[in-house]
Amino acid sequence: MGVKGGLHTTGAKWFMIESQRHSYHLVDPSPWPISGSLGALATTVGGVMYMHSFQGGATLLSLGLIFLLYTMFVWWRDVLRESTLEGHHTKAVQLGPRYGSILFIVSEVMFLFAFFWASSHSSLAPTVEIGGIWPPKGIGVLDPWEIPLLNTPILPSSGAAVTWAHHAILAGKEKRAVYALVATVSLALVSTGFQGMEYYQAPSTISDSIYGSTFFLATGFHGFHVIIGTLFLIVCGIRQYLGHLTKKHHVGFEAAAWYWHFVDVVRLFPFVSIYWWGGI
Amino acid sequence: MASAAARSGLRSLAARAKAPAPARRPMSSSAHDDAYETAKWEKITIVAAVSCTLLAAWNLSKGHPHYDEPPAYPYLHIRNKEFPWGPNGLFETKHDH
Repeated sequence: MGVKGGLHTTGAKWFMIESQRHSYHLVDPSPWPISGSLGALATTVGGVMYMHSFQGGATLLSLGLIFLLYTMFVWWRDVLRESTLEGHHTKAVQLGPRYGSILFIVSEVMFLFAFFWASSHSSLAPTVEIGGIWPPKGIGVLDPWEIPLLNTPILPSSGAAVTWAHHAILAGKEKRAVYALVATVSLALVSTGFQGMEYYQAPSTISDSIYGSTFFLATGFHGFHVIIGTLFLIVCGIRQYLGHLTKKHHVGFEAAAWYWHFVDVVRLFPFVSIYWWGGI
Repeated sequence: MASAAARSGLRSLAARAKAPAPARRPMSSSAHDDAYETAKWEKITIVAAVSCTLLAAWNLSKGHPHYDEPPAYPYLHIRNKEFPWGPNGLFETKHDH
């Protein structure tokens, strides 16, 4: 078996596994795509059944969600094993999750854009059915200078903390990076707590006119993204604590940081357009 | 075969020619700079967190307003069908607080 050209002639240091003569990761067969699909099917069918009060709908929905969450857990566990323990995530392989994360965030921007569009569409030319004014007649709105104002700088502060974590990882300050991620997640949890408090005290509900619909859809989906980003950062914090992230290889952390900056910057839009302009 | 060997030789030459370029990350140059940036962003985080705490203390000490029940306009409290969990719950009228 002679050497037949190709990248491996430049040195074995390019490879974690001697027998592999390329830098791509050929994945093993996995049960998770089909189990995730079945979980999603049970969730949607169960969700429709539940919302239409069919018998067993709640059970099917719960089982579907549990199945889906289980699949997410074991699938990502496998990816972490492949990258961290088996060394399959070469520079070439890392491009995949990088492009994937960027495209995912772009799609999230479009998703939230639609809700702000709906809010602007309804508020810029309010219809006669809601009194021709915005906020609609009879709707009590939150004072933007109370909890909404308070909640707005908390997320960018958390963004500063994640930048601190990033530089700490690049500088090899492992403990500092863990502290920084604890700070990031703490600020995120405080923000979610205030959002919950604000919803509890809000004078209107999602069933109160187009105002309630657009307000709770936009702010609620933003809050949901804050929760997803928080979970993502918690996973990064645990991985940093366990020593998974190195100076040169921390794609998961970078994706979490990008996502987090997206979430904290997006917060400014509902504050200005929905709470402030739309509330007075 | 000969052309494959030639290609291979050319490739390793090319690889050797561009090998010495040190791996640098964009936006962050050396470990020293990263240490400096770490300290800087730690300070920014602390200042930001303290400011948020002060804002929270001032904001929460003001108390919150109470709202009067609005007239029963048709676009308020919309109920087109019962919720799966029954008439009461998540979207029902708020309690006084």
